[in-house]
Amino acid sequence: MIEKLKRSASEIYTSRAVLSRLVRQQLTLRYRRTVLGYLWTLVNPLLMMSVMAMVFSTIMKEDVKVFTVFLFAGMIPWTCFSSIVVQSGGAFINNEGLIKKIYLPKILFPLSISLGVLIDSALSFFALFVIILAVGGEVSQALFFLPVAYLLVFVFSLGVGLMAAVATVFFRDLQYVIQIAMQGLFFLTPVLYKKDMLSGVVADLVAFNPVVPFVELFRAPLSHASLPADDVIIKALVISIFSIVLGLGTLLAQEKKVVFRL
Amino acid sequence: MSKISVDKLSIKFRIYHDRSPSLKDYVANLFRGKRQAAYSDFWAVRDISLEFNSGDRVGIVGHNGAGKSTLLKALCRVYESSDGKVTVDGRVAPLLEIGAGFHPEFTGRENIYLNGTILGYSEAQLRLIEPEVIAFAELEEFIDTPVKYYSTGMYMRLAFSLATAMHPDILILDEVFAGGDAGFMKKATARMFEMIDRANIMIMVSHDHKLVRSLCNRVVWLDHGRVVLDGPSDEVIDKYLESITNA
Repeated sequence: MIEKLKRSASEIYTSRAVLSRLVRQQLTLRYRRTVLGYLWTLVNPLLMMSVMAMVFSTIMKEDVKVFTVFLFAGMIPWTCFSSIVVQSGGAFINNEGLIKKIYLPKILFPLSISLGVLIDSALSFFALFVIILAVGGEVSQALFFLPVAYLLVFVFSLGVGLMAAVATVFFRDLQYVIQIAMQGLFFLTPVLYKKDMLSGVVADLVAFNPVVPFVELFRAPLSHASLPADDVIIKALVISIFSIVLGLGTLLAQEKKVVFRL
Repeated sequence: MSKISVDKLSIKFRIYHDRSPSLKDYVANLFRGKRQAAYSDFWAVRDISLEFNSGDRVGIVGHNGAGKSTLLKALCRVYESSDGKVTVDGRVAPLLEIGAGFHPEFTGRENIYLNGTILGYSEAQLRLIEPEVIAFAELEEFIDTPVKYYSTGMYMRLAFSLATAMHPDILILDEVFAGGDAGFMKKATARMFEMIDRANIMIMVSHDHKLVRSLCNRVVWLDHGRVVLDGPSDEVIDKYLESITNA
């Protein structure tokens, strides 16, 4: 396994040019020939979240400004996670033409998608951050923790994404199952609400939701101007290591079979 | 010096009788205990041992489904062996299907870079060959148009020009001979011959026996995934054609 991992790492290094091309393709393709072009990547979540902030601050009877910061801080890691997982799910089946014609390290497909999403997410974070400042969000040194938070949520999502990419090749139904599961998981993740607002069965379910610590990693510095609690950081670290080990393990064990099942 | 050795290579495909298994079937079968054999194994390449050395111009012949393309894909690592081993020394240029990595939304120029990178060219090499590729494809006017607006001929010309722009050690060709009008065909064939000339090892699959005779000095005849005969071109092709007319 270690041997395979080393070989895989050196393969990624030698094909880094392909990786960066694939990432660029992913970033530039979507909004081709639209007037706003890449700006849509920023405008889209901004508009969506503004509507959500307006509606849910009323429902929750919260101050709009406070709630906006709270919501944005939760949406950033959530969107990053769910986009990586959903899009990686199609990584192999959508590149069937290429995989069957030419050898490329299989990990390049989910990895390029995940990196593309990460870049999108980081850029829309800056746009959201401007809004957070505009509505009077607090600026503190805790913000310097955010790159670490991003790294953790990326590693975690990549691990789940790798598993999704491989599993979808074997069970095509999963593309749809993953989308529905993500919608369900969204409501079991304290993005729109605070964790302590829950009770009963739902609270128990949320306690087992692995995404929760990652949301808290972003919420503490952005919404509370403080570093996340130590136990949250450790939880997130353990979960992301677990996820990436499982993801890489799945990929390395199954990657030779992928081409035969496309 | 380049070298390819194929050692007892076997490649197995699993053929599903009705459809690809869904998650539901999988779970259902788990509970049923005994798994029904909803598939059968098919050996596209079976226990093949071959060695290709520098200077070899190899043609692979055989009827449809003999495992020719599968063998080529195994040499390019697209298919990993189910059993046995393939060792390749030297840079391989796989020309299994030209234009495979093209993206319809990208312009011709962008596709040169995207597909070129996938084919293993470096950024600097691509900048160097870009003008020559465009000129050879006769696409100067349309190079900044998305390739989805290209005619089939334009698309083929660009893909062919790019794929043949470099001279690899090991050249692997699967029925790759360019389409296009007569003028382009002529210059493409010349370019192809030059590329084959310069390659250290060339392996091709073709049903055009005249072409194989003229380009290859060695022919491998495959049947049902096994090697029937391996030897000098004329000898093997004559026997192969004989077997067809006798059958």
